[in-house]
Order: sequence, then structure tokens, then C-alpha cells
Amino acid sequence: MSVSYTAVGWNRAKKAYDATIASGLVVYVALFCGVGFAAHPNATIETLLIRALATASFLMLHVILSIGPLCRLSPRFLPLLYNRRHLGVTLFLVALAHAVFAIVQFHALGNVNPLVSLLTSGTGFQTFGAAALCILFFMAATSHDFWLATLSPRAWKTLHMGVYFAYALIVLHVALGALHAESYPVLGIATGAGMASLLTLHVFAAFHERAGDRDAARLNDGWIDAGPVSDIQDGRARVVCAEERIAVFRYEGKISAVSDVCRHQNGPLGEGRVIDGCITCPWHGYQYLPGNGRSPAPFTEKVPTFDVRVVDGRVYVNPEAHEPGTPVQPAHV
Amino acid sequence: MTPDVVHGALFALATYLVIGSVVAVPFVIFDIGRIDPAAKAAPWTFRALVLPGVVAMWPLLVRRLTQSRKAR
Repeated sequence: MSVSYTAVGWNRAKKAYDATIASGLVVYVALFCGVGFAAHPNATIETLLIRALATASFLMLHVILSIGPLCRLSPRFLPLLYNRRHLGVTLFLVALAHAVFAIVQFHALGNVNPLVSLLTSGTGFQTFGAAALCILFFMAATSHDFWLATLSPRAWKTLHMGVYFAYALIVLHVALGALHAESYPVLGIATGAGMASLLTLHVFAAFHERAGDRDAARLNDGWIDAGPVSDIQDGRARVVCAEERIAVFRYEGKISAVSDVCRHQNGPLGEGRVIDGCITCPWHGYQYLPGNGRSPAPFTEKVPTFDVRVVDGRVYVNPEAHEPGTPVQPAHV
Repeated sequence: MTPDVVHGALFALATYLVIGSVVAVPFVIFDIGRIDPAAKAAPWTFRALVLPGVVAMWPLLVRRLTQSRKAR
């Protein structure tokens, strides 16, 4: 959250994250080229670099696509999620470097415009690669919070879900390109294993999340029983579901309920805590006042709020949401 | 795709990006704060960072700017 935008909100964790990415890349490319030269002494440095950058970006994409489902399965992976956009921007830059090297190596210095040559020659695998690179560009170019606000969170998220389409295009790029020319099965097996692992992770995460999306039973008046007050830790929430997830927070001897979905990037507010009187999203620290679902001034984000009551030590929630930012009287414990 | 089709598509893309570049530079310097108040006092590093996206999506931002001017 920031009153005035900065380019990057640097902190120690971000610096460590980026240093890890950068050093990992350097080591990977150096190792790839070293092993490549050892195995193929006649290979040129350009060819090895093209392949090193290609495999590095493909590996990075697998890591990026794994982070989401891994975080759903275990909160210990959350530190990988916090600065995932840095990984995404780096992925685009590495893929761009691969593309530039490949265009210069295979399509430049001829009679035909290099881009025309790229898009009209071979099996067409370059076209799939170019399309994937465009998607990655749009994602990298809109990774700043300015775009989240300008495009709206829904449009921004839709655009960034394009990463799955980019992944499919890259698989086609690899299948019709490198795999087509490759005589050893290693790359094919690795690509298949990558796809299988991503699919498995996503399926496991989906089943895990499904458990939390089962609608709670409704009473005769339509309210939901959110369970005993004693089950909710002070400063934490219990999440119930009624067509959408509702986070029921206990704090300062009171109970309030807000939408479980953070306005920033749809983080799970119910997994956060109440800090300094504010519900704090565990993903990026966005905050909301529990009594009205509004971010404290001067911030302007709002989430829907819900009526609550406490009867005989049990919490009940009215699943009909109020407009975001509507004040609701908390129930007293 | 035939070379002529690719030539045409690349020409259209280049035209779009040139217009985008001409629009984007004054936009990030003078007008970005009109559509997002948090960008008004933002440093040049932020403006440079969003520039590629502005070049790519200049029609959307021109529309937003026009709407914000009409609203005043």
C-alpha cells in the first residue's frame, strides 16, 4: 500500500529475492554453457547461450506456475508468492534475450527482414514463441500496482491469467522446434514431466481449496452458523462459505465479518491477522478496518461487509453482503 | 503466413507503436497523475517503469484521460 507510487518498494526481503534470482540465473547459464562445451566442443557460444536462455526461461515459468498451487497447499511457500512479479518480469527479460539472440543468429544478415523471416520460415514454431513473448511482455509491462488500479483488479487478473496461455504456446514452440530437431529424448521427457508436475499440483490444490468452498448450512432465517466464538483465535479469523468466502474476525472482544477476498490481488484476508486494529492481508499487507471494510485513510480500498451476531457463544453471519465499505455494528463476545 | 501478410502486420504494429511512443512520453511526464492521483508525485523511475505499458496500451489511457477531462 502506498500513498504515492514508487518504481519498486524495496525492502530486505525483495533484495534477497532478486539477488537469489539473479545469482541463480548466472550460475545456471554458466553451468549450461560449461557442460555444453564439454559435451559438444564444436558448439558455438551463441548456440549455447540461446539454448541456456531458452531452458532457463522455461524452467522459470514452471517455478512461477507452481507457486500459486504450492501456496494453497502449504503456507510455508508464501515467501515465494510475495515477490512473484519480480520473477515474472525476469522471465520476460530472459525470454526476450533468448529471442533476440535467436533472431540475430538465424534470421539476420540476410535479404529478408529478420522479423518476416522469423514468422514465415520453418515449422512455424517461432510464431508460437513470438506470441508467447507478447503475452509475457504485457504481463511484465503491467506488473506495477499502477496498472492494477488503472485496469481494475478483475481486468488485471484476467490479463495475468494469460500466463497459462503463454505456457501452452511455449510448449508448442518447444514441441515443434527443439523437440522436432532433437535426437535424444531428454528434452521431451523433461517437457512432459514439467507439464505433468504442473497439472498434478493444480489438481491437488483445487481439491484442497474445494474443501473450503463448501457452503455452510443455513438456518431458517438464512443466516449461517460460523461455529463457537471459542474456535476463533483472538486477532484471527474463521472462514465460512456461502457462495463466496466470508472471513469472520475476532478482535478486542468483538466479532466482525468481511469478504475473504483482498481488493489488491484477491489474497485470502481470512488467513491474515488483525494488526493495530486492522485486518491485514497475509500476501502484501493491505489493511481494512473490521467495522466497515475500509482501508484506513488515506487509502481507499474497500471490501464488502456482513452482519454478525453472537448468541449463546456461537457466531452467526448473514451471507447477504453489504456494499464495500458499509459500516456494520460488530457483535460483542 | 505469407510474407506480404507479415509485412502488413508488422507495418501496422510499427505504426501503432510509433503513435504510442509519441503519446506515452508526454503522458507519463504530465498527465499520468490525472488518471491516478497516486502517480502525481511519483519519481521518474516509476514513470520510466510504466512507459512500456503506456506505449502498448495508449488508446486505453487516452480514453481515460479524455473521460477525466470531461468529468472536471
